[in-house]
Amino acid sequence: MAIKKLDEVEFGVDLPTFIPDTSLAITTEFAKLIGWNAPRFTDHEAAKKEGLAGAMAPGVLSQGYLVAMIHNWAPVAEVLAVDTIFRAPVIADEAHTITGVVTDIDEENAKVEIDLTVANEKGETRVFGTATVK
Amino acid sequence: MDADIEEIREKYLNLKFDEKQFTIDPETTIQYAKLCGETAERFLDADHEEFQAPPTFIACLSGSRMLPKDFPRFGIGMDAGKGVECLQPVRPGSTVTGKTHLHDIYTKTGRSGRMIFVVTRIEFYDSEGNHLVNSDSRMVMRERN
Repeated sequence: MAIKKLDEVEFGVDLPTFIPDTSLAITTEFAKLIGWNAPRFTDHEAAKKEGLAGAMAPGVLSQGYLVAMIHNWAPVAEVLAVDTIFRAPVIADEAHTITGVVTDIDEENAKVEIDLTVANEKGETRVFGTATVK
Repeated sequence: MDADIEEIREKYLNLKFDEKQFTIDPETTIQYAKLCGETAERFLDADHEEFQAPPTFIACLSGSRMLPKDFPRFGIGMDAGKGVECLQPVRPGSTVTGKTHLHDIYTKTGRSGRMIFVVTRIEFYDSEGNHLVNSDSRMVMRERN
């Protein structure tokens, strides 16, 4: 059920798991859209020559996934801030899952803090984020 | 804090070293939203009364330089993270100005030596001078031994 207002949010609640589309087609289109045409984002073989396990999703795409996940859970939520730490590459064509948990509720200022994690199939954290929404 | 880092902080922090204008193209922000998996209509429908760019869209916009011209090179820089602080919505179709400065410089020392973190902040303003967004890029440089 989509969250419509702050008092529906409970401390410690998990957001619905979000499955981002990390296919090479999407990461390539995204990279080209924002003008990041480096082969590491668009070509598995070229990325491997750079020492990566395969083509990687641009970090800003992972950041975009996190915000999309929040709006999927609470369409009216206004994202005030989001901070991301890129721990390891998100490799295109590998399945990833994003989980989130409400870690703080500031009722006085009507703000909620959420921790978000992008993990691969092995459960390895690739990106960690913290968002503040109202 | 290490003396050399303290000196660099005093020399470089909070001094604008770049300014650049960007036109926010509606088709681009909508496509950005779709590719991220965004479902909220205000980011997808140009006719929506609250139509706006997704909050993190601005993080895709780069200034002309990431560091001041004479900033010391400690080693190869890697993207360690990004942050966005949204103060007001960015409206597609508008022109925004990005003003860049170094927001923070700090170190962490581990088994492999010292790593220098540099946070470059671009402050985005609309044509009327309203402060819309801060976009931070955190770069880490492993110091050459």
